[in-house]
Amino acid sequence: MLGIGGAIQAGVFVMLSYASDLAGTAIIVALLVCGIINFLTMCSYAELGSAIPKAGGEYTFAKAAYGGFVSFLTGWFEWISNMFFAALSSVGFAYIISYIIPVNVPLTAILTIIVFAFINIRGVEEVGKSQVLMVGTLLAILIAFILNGLIIPGAGTLQLSSPGGPLGVIQATAYIFVVYLGVEAIAVAQAEIKNPGKTIPRAILLSAIVLFVIYPLTAYVMLRIVPPEAISGQYSSLIYVAQLSMGDFGKVALVIAGVIAAMSSVNTSIMAQSRVAYALSRDGYFPKVLLNLHKKFSTPYVAVVVGSIFTAVLAATGVINFVGYATDFGFIIGFALVNLSLMKLRRDKPLLDRPFKTPFYPFTPIAGIVTSLFLLIFIDVGVLSLGIVLSILAVVAYYIRMVGYVRIRVAFGGISIGLGIFTVMLTYLIASGAMPLNDVSPTTFTAIFFILLFTSIILMIAGLLNATAKSSEF
Amino acid sequence: MSIRRKVSIAIGLAQSVIGALATVFAYLLYHDFLGIRALLSVTSKDVVLYMLTLIVFGLLSIISGLFLVSEQ
Repeated sequence: MLGIGGAIQAGVFVMLSYASDLAGTAIIVALLVCGIINFLTMCSYAELGSAIPKAGGEYTFAKAAYGGFVSFLTGWFEWISNMFFAALSSVGFAYIISYIIPVNVPLTAILTIIVFAFINIRGVEEVGKSQVLMVGTLLAILIAFILNGLIIPGAGTLQLSSPGGPLGVIQATAYIFVVYLGVEAIAVAQAEIKNPGKTIPRAILLSAIVLFVIYPLTAYVMLRIVPPEAISGQYSSLIYVAQLSMGDFGKVALVIAGVIAAMSSVNTSIMAQSRVAYALSRDGYFPKVLLNLHKKFSTPYVAVVVGSIFTAVLAATGVINFVGYATDFGFIIGFALVNLSLMKLRRDKPLLDRPFKTPFYPFTPIAGIVTSLFLLIFIDVGVLSLGIVLSILAVVAYYIRMVGYVRIRVAFGGISIGLGIFTVMLTYLIASGAMPLNDVSPTTFTAIFFILLFTSIILMIAGLLNATAKSSEF
Repeated sequence: MSIRRKVSIAIGLAQSVIGALATVFAYLLYHDFLGIRALLSVTSKDVVLYMLTLIVFGLLSIISGLFLVSEQ
């Protein structure tokens, strides 16, 4: 249930319209291709998840296989990707609910994250009890939508065509790949699951198969009812089509389904990012404060809060396409590294107990690597640039651990002092009139002066304190 | 708790808050909430530069402040 609940997410409700702009009716092909690519890597997750039952998922797998920088890189991208995923799901939730209640999308997304941060601090068991009911309801509504769409006459077309040709289909595949994400979160939370050797592979593969059936059918039904042009620009093409085919009842039902999907995936991804951060902290790459467990619930509440803050900042942008592509990028890198980890462990540790073994090895992981990396070429250029920046930050973060806490702290002390001196100079230039603030009222001028003065004092004192830091435990 | 520790926590919190406010301010400037651009006479051309400056300043301040707060 954790896998299906986390995988049927807001993406399928809010991303199909742009995807159909790219691929037209061939979006069905794009979804099938995504499902196949996803399944290839889920086999690796199933084997590694059952063989290495520890919290951290992909990071733990890469650590067992490679260690060092490769494992850190895997954990880094999984951590960031899950935050992007949570942001995407929360923004999707806001767009979905706007069909019933007018809302401020960024604010609603932020509030959603805050609520689920609190829920995650309470622990997986608490979530699991309600999630079974929620996922069951979600599946029932989607199945009803599909069955209704197969029966009623429609104005759409079943002829596969893509306005962008084969390139459009590939671009749509790269964009829509995110709708299959979430199943791998099972592997991240495995330390909290009973009998992981059997449960993990079964849950992962069953979830992947369920999605492979449901998503293309959903798109098929949608395009059977209306042509692709009709859903272009819609916040949620599924809700729009449900209203056309099932009236207001359909609209409300799909809104409920979308809300459940979005809430489940927000919950799953916040949980997943906190567990990855916990694992990275356990190994010294992140501050030890992230290891702190809640006294009552025994959950890594600091990791939950820190990740949720970053997620809220991302969600505040309210831009679905950017966050969707960014999520794709991070997970594709992570997927490639997981497949590589599987192959390395098969070679280095052939006698490792593996309750589940990937079928058709080594074809399956190799195909998973090649096909998922191929999709990277077609991701939005802006996101690829961001990905490069994140990779550089990963190198810097890894290097910080190698250099040591005290040196980095002294460096930040120097940075603070420098910023303090700069702010003092800025304050002087503004006060003396050398840098005039045109058309600013006297009250605003005074406020700016005192804010800058106060800031410069704080910065310089902070800089001195950090620069004179003694060696201490990180 | 020593005096240095107390001062470190106070200054660290202050610096982190300043950094967070700078980042929030960058967001407000981007969306021009409450006519803030007109209030500060910031042209559309200069907004990106101000935002970049505020975000970089904010992040550095937050990190530096956290170092002080988490000092052992």
